[in-house]
Amino acid sequence: MLTKHELLAPLAAHRGDAVVITCMGITRPWAAYSQSELDFASADSAMGHTADLAIGLAIADSHRKVICLNGDGSMLMTLGSLVTAVQAQAANLVLIVVQNETYEITGNQPVPGAGRIDFTALARGAGFARVYYFEDPETYAGALPEVLTGPGPVFAAVRVAPGTEGPISRGGTEGAGYLKCSLAESARCLRRALANSVSRSQESGAGKERSLPGS
Amino acid sequence: MLEARRIVEELRRNRVTHVIGLPDNWSAKLFESLAAGSDIRLVAVTREGEAFAIAAGLWIGGRTPAVLVQNTGFFESGDSVRGTVMRMRVPLVVLITFRGFGRAVELQPTHGTGPIDADTMSCAQLDSAALITEPTLRAWGVPYLYLRTDADATRISDAFLQAGEHQQPCAVLVTAEIK
Repeated sequence: MLTKHELLAPLAAHRGDAVVITCMGITRPWAAYSQSELDFASADSAMGHTADLAIGLAIADSHRKVICLNGDGSMLMTLGSLVTAVQAQAANLVLIVVQNETYEITGNQPVPGAGRIDFTALARGAGFARVYYFEDPETYAGALPEVLTGPGPVFAAVRVAPGTEGPISRGGTEGAGYLKCSLAESARCLRRALANSVSRSQESGAGKERSLPGS
Repeated sequence: MLEARRIVEELRRNRVTHVIGLPDNWSAKLFESLAAGSDIRLVAVTREGEAFAIAAGLWIGGRTPAVLVQNTGFFESGDSVRGTVMRMRVPLVVLITFRGFGRAVELQPTHGTGPIDADTMSCAQLDSAALITEPTLRAWGVPYLYLRTDADATRISDAFLQAGEHQQPCAVLVTAEIK
């Protein structure tokens, strides 16, 4: 079983220019490893819909990798999204389920199916192109570059020890930078960052086909 | 008469890039038209709540999404609507096919503003989905317009204008079968 540090430190090192979406018990810890304008906290939002948000971001620009750090409790709320991700051909989506088998935010009550559920079987059944399972930190760190490159959608279940994160809010009381502003402002910040990034790549001639009509 | 072709024209006029949703009997023809076309991408979901979060992601990513669901699917989407497109102030147009509209208007003159209680919700002659559509939209702060015939199709553009001006979702209630 990994610690959150063992999960997040290698990811921060290898994420490149990917968008990283976090939720629940990973939200604050991720901010200790990254302050990128391409980070987005799905906090103060709709419970269980983080993967859906990531699907939308992924299909908005197929050239941009989107990494979603979803909770196992959150994933269980919208298992149909596994099918939707494949159906939508979100080939640039890397969906990582942080499997601590509890609802950490509310005091680590066990999720339904704790100790029994096989997320990789669900992902395979939904048609994910590549599916991984990690419970050893060295194996995870070694495989991460492969996980983050190549065709997807990619699914990885990572066994992580439960932590002690409490309820997440937004505003001045939160230490994490990406929780300082409202969800609406945070969404606009990421939208601007993505639009600027596309403009820069177009100016450099590296992404002529990446026009975004809505930007 | 309300034709799928006319709705697609309006979506194109507003540069919609993706329609996310789940079909019902009234919207089936529109889904078929969108699937047959190549310029607007159709994103099928397994449950309507997914659609609003996906739409939010598409908008953040610079695209122009629209959502197409039945009113019952809109009810199912409650927390997704609240927590994504409302909370993020996404200028999203939501096409909602209005199951039960005709019968409700015929039998309940106060439709949309009348009392809602156990008697009306369980009335066999009324579709309870129709009773709570407008009240639900009002409760969630989502403005709405009606679309019944091709002559009303420009309401879709009105909804985009309203959504853009106020930076929030706007619903278009489709009160007839799309042919």
